Amino acid sequence: MRARQRGAGLLGSVYLLFLPGVVTAAAAEAVPLSWVAPTTIAQSSAVSHPAPPSSSQTTITAATPTHGASHTTSTHTPQAVSERPPWAEQAVRRPAELSMWQGSLSAEQLKLLTQYGEQLFTARFTTADGVGRPMATQAIIPTRRKRPSKTSFFRTAGLDANACSSCHHQPVIGGAGDFAANVFVSEGFNHADFDSLDPQFSNERNTNHLFGAGLIELLAREMSADLQAIRAATLRAARAQQQPITAALITKGVRFGDITAHSDGVLDLTQIEGVDSDLIIRPFSQKGVMTSLRQFSINALNHHHGMQASERFGARWTGEADFDEDEIADELSAADISALVAWQATLRPPQRKQPEHKGWQQAALRGERLFSRSGCAVCHQPALPLNSLKFADPGRWDMAGTLRTQEVSAVTHYDLALLEWSETLPRNAQGAVMVPLFGDLKRHKIADSEVSAFSNELLSQRFVARDVFMTAELWGIASTAPYGHRGDMTTLDEVIQAHGGAGRAARDAYLKLDEAARLDVVAFLKTLVLE
Amino acid sequence: MSLGHFGGWLLLCSLSLGVQAAADIPKLAPATGSAGINHQYDGPWEYFVGGGIATFDCNHDRKPDVFLAGGKHPAQLFINRSETGAALRFQPQSLNLSARDLTKVLGAYPLDMDNDGRLDLVLLRVGRNILLRGEKDCQFTKVNKAWQFDGGKAWTTAFSATFEAESMFPTLAFGNYVDRSAPGSPWGTCADNALLRPLTSGAAADSAVPVSRALPNYSEPMALTPGHCALSMLFTDWNKTGEAALRISNDRHYYRGGEEQLWHVPPGRPPRRYTRYEGWERVMIWGMGIAEGDLNGDGYPEYVLTSMGDTRIQILDDEAEEDRPVYRDIALERGATAHRPYTGDDLRPSTGWHAEFADFNNDARLDLYIAKGNVESMPDFTAFDPDNLLLGQFDQRFKEAGLAAGIALDRRGRGAAVADFNSDGLLDLIVVNRAAPVSVFRNRGALTDWGVRPMGNWLQLEVRQPGHNHFALGATIAIKTGNLTQIRKIQVGGGHASGHMGFVHIGLGVAERAQVRIQWPDGSWSAPYRLFANQFALIEKGSDRVRYWYPEAAD
Repeated sequence: MRARQRGAGLLGSVYLLFLPGVVTAAAAEAVPLSWVAPTTIAQSSAVSHPAPPSSSQTTITAATPTHGASHTTSTHTPQAVSERPPWAEQAVRRPAELSMWQGSLSAEQLKLLTQYGEQLFTARFTTADGVGRPMATQAIIPTRRKRPSKTSFFRTAGLDANACSSCHHQPVIGGAGDFAANVFVSEGFNHADFDSLDPQFSNERNTNHLFGAGLIELLAREMSADLQAIRAATLRAARAQQQPITAALITKGVRFGDITAHSDGVLDLTQIEGVDSDLIIRPFSQKGVMTSLRQFSINALNHHHGMQASERFGARWTGEADFDEDEIADELSAADISALVAWQATLRPPQRKQPEHKGWQQAALRGERLFSRSGCAVCHQPALPLNSLKFADPGRWDMAGTLRTQEVSAVTHYDLALLEWSETLPRNAQGAVMVPLFGDLKRHKIADSEVSAFSNELLSQRFVARDVFMTAELWGIASTAPYGHRGDMTTLDEVIQAHGGAGRAARDAYLKLDEAARLDVVAFLKTLVLE
Repeated sequence: MSLGHFGGWLLLCSLSLGVQAAADIPKLAPATGSAGINHQYDGPWEYFVGGGIATFDCNHDRKPDVFLAGGKHPAQLFINRSETGAALRFQPQSLNLSARDLTKVLGAYPLDMDNDGRLDLVLLRVGRNILLRGEKDCQFTKVNKAWQFDGGKAWTTAFSATFEAESMFPTLAFGNYVDRSAPGSPWGTCADNALLRPLTSGAAADSAVPVSRALPNYSEPMALTPGHCALSMLFTDWNKTGEAALRISNDRHYYRGGEEQLWHVPPGRPPRRYTRYEGWERVMIWGMGIAEGDLNGDGYPEYVLTSMGDTRIQILDDEAEEDRPVYRDIALERGATAHRPYTGDDLRPSTGWHAEFADFNNDARLDLYIAKGNVESMPDFTAFDPDNLLLGQFDQRFKEAGLAAGIALDRRGRGAAVADFNSDGLLDLIVVNRAAPVSVFRNRGALTDWGVRPMGNWLQLEVRQPGHNHFALGATIAIKTGNLTQIRKIQVGGGHASGHMGFVHIGLGVAERAQVRIQWPDGSWSAPYRLFANQFALIEKGSDRVRYWYPEAAD
């Protein structure tokens, strides 16, 4: 049997979500289903008349054999849920007719999308869904193994989790993980099957929480746009004035060093700080090396679950619909990834808790002042201004292998202002949302010769040196112990003391405080909760 | 509240992802009329061959300008005025050269012969060849006398250059076609080829004279005998020894007892042919163009040889050794014989000319472009002979995409240039046709049912070294993304009468960054450079810092 692909099967019929316990067919009825066909593609005439869900079975067609499918094992595409009995082994409860909207989503549409995203985030994926990558490594560039891996699940090299929420669940789904949920990050090119905790093979990382991730990505997008605008303006000025021009890369009050443009369009980037040479802010991961939730999700799904997104691992970039040779073709569609992104992007941001305990309230107030006075807030900036809450998917800064804006006929937008939690966000005088992240979305060297705890890895990651990390956003920190990129520090005091390098001065200032004052700082940090 | 449209982009991209099993097909949109290049290559019998194009930056704006051979018409220079990511536009530039010198030109290759950092031009002609020194503002000075270059009187159809060890100036090789004055011409009267080593006397050898002021001296050409009617030649380091050998592709139509040639060119010693005893096997084709590319990333180049009928792709055989150039043909197994038109009803064999490996769709796999066209009206060969765009697939085979890409024109193609003329990361194409206007194609991105979409990531590199050989001829660039290593070489020669000097383009596929190392012409390796995709990076020997170039943003 040849690989059956979802492609043409998406055409036509009514969009119904069958999400047990979340959305039922009855729930779907609550939404006006006045779908119209896309007008931008030739085949759209085939879908101009809504058809009953069952028709989707007949529109799934056999795929053209993939050129270059040298491995001819039979494969099949996961079925839509409508084709399956309720007791089926698949964990992905894909709507019978999965697709998505163009343009701005209504609150109801966004809700449906995020509900499916949550279902994906919590699904314990199975081999029937496509779990496993017997002939592919965890690498972010589709990379084939020379021979099948001996183990499917393996705590170090992966597969190392059943669901996204297996690790991201403290204190709630989407949250962080404790030391037991650490992962082992390796590029996945050499020693893809490392069976050792030896740091020469991987970097051990604690699980971050995802709350407020949509706001983080929006901030990063605006900052990337700012930096690139500065670059363009500097180059223009140097060309116009026929002399070298140096400009500071400052966005939202964060300085990323300087650039010098020459009159011939040559740019000296040697003085940039904390950002990659393409001036794209990559806000995700402890290292600060992932551009978007979309990119990160595709990476993580392959790494941790062996669930491969077609937009990176599909025929376009690998020549094969079943690159990992687990006999499931096209495991995750672009729409699946969009649903996952939507759920993460709409997660409410962490909150400032007002403690009931009066003494704690006062200590927190003092601690907040000390936090600022000690210099912690230089990097852990209490808030960064965000101009727009409109989240576009796909985003502007992704590169090939993660769906890009120009690869779709129309981008989907959802306004995070549609969400109730958005009303709680403070705004500045200019009307910008002040995102209370306690971070700067910048990478810093965080170790020195005397205070070197954070220099405990051997491998650089994605060109970023071993002792350089993105400023950890502190929102939610009270609910996401343990601390540090390896999750091996159990108290806030320990992790503060571990700051060397760019954090050294603040750390020293903190240590100069008396014990009560240091506890005040902790009292303040303990108000930054996930609830 | 308004409900949006059903379906939309995800439906659409799922379709595209699902249905299209092969690599992206680039849309090469015709831009001949709008590009401002009004030029034809034409002329009598001598101009059935040739039709070259040289692309290089003559005004230091880092955009490739275009010099076109005209045959009986004067050669022309066009300055690249394309805006970034926009339509291709060129402007003719008048040259302070005699009309006589600009006619009878078959081909042209850019290289910096006098080490002044400006690209010079070698003109291949029917009759005396000409060296043009690059000057300011895209002007050129004829320097045959100054550089003691006679230029001969042969019918020159091929060229290549290399910097031999320790040599301050390039060694030039000229390939000549039929000796028209020999009795019985043209049959069996192939002219000798010539090797011109710069003399190390006078100013050139005087270390007190700065490199920039020393002049090359080409007063003592050496005959490469026998010649077999060369139509393309390429200095190439086939065995990774650091010493270039000279490969010559020859036209069996005129030679008697001839064959494809590979010459040892040991520095300071006379060149000599590789022989049967050394494993060089006799291959007889209508050799018209050579290009090299490293299809498997092992550092040993593969070669494409264009001909009439089957195209050859040669790879080192298992029996090959460092001193035994044994090759086998893999064109058939790779699906790249391209022996007859891929569209139309004319099943007669086709006639291949310029060949070039390049990544047109940025998927990190080399593609192969071949210019095609009947010699004139040879009855045993197809009259309608569309150019090939053989896209490298993920299974290492090639798949023809010329028709879908839009380059299947009814033209007699000859020379060609593959370069990014509008600095958008996508390789464009200019084809010189015999007795018809030059074809210009702008690469718009990947074809889909609904338009075009961006292709893979890319990098473009400008590689320089201080002192002589500023443009680092002979350098090898290794580009590593994940477990994939791609190799590019900086060379002058090959193709069909056409040369390019400028940014080295590499497709990266889904990799968003790459590690680049350079083996400089002296054999030393650079430290790895860590580069993010979709940028123009400038690398200079001795510096571990990379600078970047940004094309002027289109407003």
